[in-house]
Amino acid sequence: MGVIQHDVIIIGAGVAGLTAGAILAEKGYNVALVAKGEPTACLSTGCIDICSLDHDPLHGVSHLPDEHPYHLVSRAVIRESIEKFKESMAQMGFSYIGSPETNRYVLSALGTFKTTCLVPSTMAAAPQDEKDDLHIITFSGLKDFYPSYITARRKNASFSTYDAGASTTMGLATNFEREDFLEKFISWLEKLNIREGKIAFPAVLGLESAGMITKKIEERLGRKVFEIPTIPPSMPGRRLFNALKDYFRKKGGMIYWSWPVSGVEKTKKIIEAVTSPSEGRPKSLNAKAFILASGSFVGGGLTARRDTIVENIFNLPVLVPGQRDNWFDSDYFSLNHGIGKAGIIVDSSFRPKEADWENVFVCGGIIAHTDVLKNGCGHGMALATGHAAAASCMGYIK
Amino acid sequence: MLKTDVIIIGGGATGCGIARDLALRGIPHCLIEKGDFAAGATGACHGLLHSGGRYVVSDPHSAKECYDENIILRRIGEKCVEQTGGLFVRLPGDSKLYRDRFLKSCEKIGIPAEIISSTKALDLVPNLNPDIEEAVKVPDCSIDPFRLCMLNIISSQKRNGIIFIRHKVTEILKEHGRCVGVKAADQVSGEIREIHGNVIINATGAWSHLVAQLAGNEVPLTLSKGSLVITNHRLTNMVVNRMRPSADGDIIVPNEAVCLAGTTSIAVEDPDKIRIESHEVDTIISEAGRMIPHFDDTRIIRAFSGVRPLLKSAKADSREITRGFQIINHGDGMYSIVGGKLTTFRLMAEKMVDTIMDYFKLKKPCETAEIPLEGQEELSGYPLAKRLADMKNIVCECELVSRAEVERIIKQTGTRYVGDISHRTRLGMGPCQGGFCTFRALGIMHEKSIISPEQSMNALRDFLQRRFRGIRFCLWGDQLREEQLVEYIYMGILALERK
Repeated sequence: MGVIQHDVIIIGAGVAGLTAGAILAEKGYNVALVAKGEPTACLSTGCIDICSLDHDPLHGVSHLPDEHPYHLVSRAVIRESIEKFKESMAQMGFSYIGSPETNRYVLSALGTFKTTCLVPSTMAAAPQDEKDDLHIITFSGLKDFYPSYITARRKNASFSTYDAGASTTMGLATNFEREDFLEKFISWLEKLNIREGKIAFPAVLGLESAGMITKKIEERLGRKVFEIPTIPPSMPGRRLFNALKDYFRKKGGMIYWSWPVSGVEKTKKIIEAVTSPSEGRPKSLNAKAFILASGSFVGGGLTARRDTIVENIFNLPVLVPGQRDNWFDSDYFSLNHGIGKAGIIVDSSFRPKEADWENVFVCGGIIAHTDVLKNGCGHGMALATGHAAAASCMGYIK
Repeated sequence: MLKTDVIIIGGGATGCGIARDLALRGIPHCLIEKGDFAAGATGACHGLLHSGGRYVVSDPHSAKECYDENIILRRIGEKCVEQTGGLFVRLPGDSKLYRDRFLKSCEKIGIPAEIISSTKALDLVPNLNPDIEEAVKVPDCSIDPFRLCMLNIISSQKRNGIIFIRHKVTEILKEHGRCVGVKAADQVSGEIREIHGNVIINATGAWSHLVAQLAGNEVPLTLSKGSLVITNHRLTNMVVNRMRPSADGDIIVPNEAVCLAGTTSIAVEDPDKIRIESHEVDTIISEAGRMIPHFDDTRIIRAFSGVRPLLKSAKADSREITRGFQIINHGDGMYSIVGGKLTTFRLMAEKMVDTIMDYFKLKKPCETAEIPLEGQEELSGYPLAKRLADMKNIVCECELVSRAEVERIIKQTGTRYVGDISHRTRLGMGPCQGGFCTFRALGIMHEKSIISPEQSMNALRDFLQRRFRGIRFCLWGDQLREEQLVEYIYMGILALERK
């Protein structure tokens, strides 16, 4: 197979990689994205956390430690990345509610409040305090949702169980995509004579059509409806991934699936190509620039060994938080785990520091000092750094 | 107030064995355990049913006891012993002289030991280091310590034995200088129970000096911490020992779906304040890796420590202290039984109960070596086919535990502890270490309305903190990825209140 040349190759199909890719594709660059498999976004709640430390997320950002990668991005870019995200998701029929000025809550499957910023429209009606009375619907055999966790904590909540003939979130979501199933389900709901003001569901109300399904139930029942995110496999996470992926493709980007990078071709200061052992498909992809968005440990961008941590694609220098003993704090709940800081240190152009390469840019969870869980900054940081890395990359290749 | 003849404190193998022996001899008794069964050294060991080989050179007396009990347990506990067989492998550089002494002593004691070539050994255990000089085959077995305790308790319960788990003895009542009973606090409700008896047996292992103190008695103990690691899968179907004097990381035992490797031996003071350290994990992995090279790149799913309650001795190295046991008559109606090993628990119980029978001037002989453990059919093996039949309702995917099983345990024990379900079903023992199924098990308890929101939050926090203690020093590679995912699930998705 001959040499395939792209302008930019992105490694990783998560929120950061797909965001950076869409920006470049929109500007007319020839962009390809390679992915080993599905991203961790599929495991997520689908909510966009910008920074959960303060009621005002941007105010929270300003209080993050100096090394935090958010500080490499201006407020304007954070706002722009959020606006752009909302716009593109609305275009894909998966709209998001919220603004970067204020955080909001979604009800968790434990009955607690999760702080986040943007939520899919299907979670917009989630209660923001203890007052709302809820009726929760669950499905017999669904093993990842127990309404009793919630009813035990909220006085004004009750639940009913529907037998949908499926026991997984994916199976249920697929059922909801069927017109006849939905119709039968809604007439069952109507017969319940629900008195409570809001109806809550585990997040299984369809895949592509979740927004429409939610609306339809709301109209027919005359009640506000919202979804509660579940533990993985998470449908809102998958919807987010699907929408980002389809948007990227719509803008002209292409994706090589199951294309694990196994090697690189390089000259002195330039990465020329990435290679993969995949059979029957291009084994080598050339590009002028590369954007590394391969994620942290769960995503597979970083691997911890007994005595060190390595970056898996370009073998970039990694910030290792000391010896293994220091990777975790003795108090599990402190969230002060050194491991949260592990990653690639980048400069203001989002190039890896102390690395030889001038055409490699880094974004998303693989960046050092993010402390995603502690700061509640997962997808928001991926959007902002995805934008910034794409802009920097454009400046380099034009 | 409750009255009985014998009060047993401690629900480890020894205490449970004593309860069974008393039951078979018709003596009314009550067993009190502060946690769950097998919560101390019993549950924190290899689960190795020794052939005696390990002690054959250093402590032939204990070795003989081990071998005799090995034969008895294989007979009475057919369904809870896995007859794996064991190898002592000699690596290049390991003393041939030790091997000669080993064989000589085995012969003297009567432990069957067969020298096999390295080729033959590799046939038996293909993952073995191909550089081994030779191996000696011995009748080591593996045993599930928790199941063993449960089976002993069944015999007691069938004969009206009274069992209190999650009850901590807070006071020993004395009248005219004699122990007449105990006060025990229910660890869940805080309620105090008063139980009276004629004799008190202190079978609390590493805690026995503390329990004895409650009656003003002394137990001279040396506490030695031993740490172990658990692999994600079985690397060997036979027990593998190193042919050399006892040292760190010289035993690998297959148990159910995993292998356990250890141990270390470090003197400690307080049995409640032990923690594993990362250098211990590294030492065990590198030493075990010398016998099974694969060990180095195998996923370690957990590490844990137990405390060996050894008889006090002047010997500086705790490895040289005898594994024999001793019964201490405190002369006030209290007896303490200390030392010994999991393998010899039945013998310890027999001797203890013989002493009690003498005291009561009763004659009925011990039958625990002849009568098979009751209830084995119910607990037998690993009924995989049964579990797979209900695939849709599997709550723990790693160990294939179904919802029905979880509900049965909740109903049977009324427990609010996920750990109690784990012990009885292996829920949460696999690679994710309960990351997914704990949320589900507590959800089921919520459905049964036996747990309040505060209790479930506390239970989740407690579970995560304990789980973390077990895996903290094994976090690299895939296990670290799994850990990060679980952390995200509980803190990120479920928004667990950290308090």
